Amino acid sequence: MAAGGLIGGAHATHRLDDLADAVGLKPKPQPDPADDRLLRSAATAQAALLAAVEATAARHTALELAQFVAIGREQLDALGGSTAATDITPPPDDQAAALTALVTAYRSESSARAKQATAAASPELARVLASMSAGLFQCARTVGAA
Amino acid sequence: MTTQTDALQRRLALEHEAVWLYPLIGARFDELTKLARTSFVTHRDTRDEVLARLRALGVEPVATELSYDVGPLSSPAEAREAARSLEAGISAACLMLVGITEDDVRQYSIKSLIRSARAELTWGAEPQAFPGLP
Repeated sequence: MAAGGLIGGAHATHRLDDLADAVGLKPKPQPDPADDRLLRSAATAQAALLAAVEATAARHTALELAQFVAIGREQLDALGGSTAATDITPPPDDQAAALTALVTAYRSESSARAKQATAAASPELARVLASMSAGLFQCARTVGAA
Repeated sequence: MTTQTDALQRRLALEHEAVWLYPLIGARFDELTKLARTSFVTHRDTRDEVLARLRALGVEPVATELSYDVGPLSSPAEAREAARSLEAGISAACLMLVGITEDDVRQYSIKSLIRSARAELTWGAEPQAFPGLP
């Protein structure tokens, strides 16, 4: 099942409450349907990013990306996603090119989460997505400095 | 319930603290002078932005204090820790604003959050999954 699948259907009503609980925020009782779509989209993108980080970590062990894998899992867990059946392009064989690709992916996802945070109706979802955006930005900076 | 004004006042109080702290760090530790100067300029400009936003709302901005309790500052490591702690507090204040504002102000708050998350790294923090969240 793709990451977004866990959030759809009957799960949708409670997903934002679970998310708010996971990060210590007060749950909102009735999430906006548009927010569920935002959440599903963010989880799918986050699953793809995590898969890319994991693949890069496996191919280039010298890069020591374990902390970034852990961060990615924490973020994906908060969104209620799964990495199962996530298709990604294999990372470049060249280590420097692989790092560059990761930095680009982190920056892109940071911008995407910021836009989603701006659009979110729920204050709790807006905060979680904005915080994720900042966390992804930190990852881009740190990976890029390696 | 926290209002936009409350959250902006909290943010301004932290910016006042940053404008107080960074010159102190720069003056005490040569190895941190350049970094502290850059941080001071950034926070001075941000303080002025937040002041302007509060005045535009017709609110009297909180005043700066004579000094702040930032913990010990007897070594560069302690100075870095004080800076990290302050920047983390600013991240939390920005994130509070994200949840109680919309559109342009929310966008501004998100940009501010990313800037403070970057500053946390600059002062030695490790990357986190959720900067600004408890």
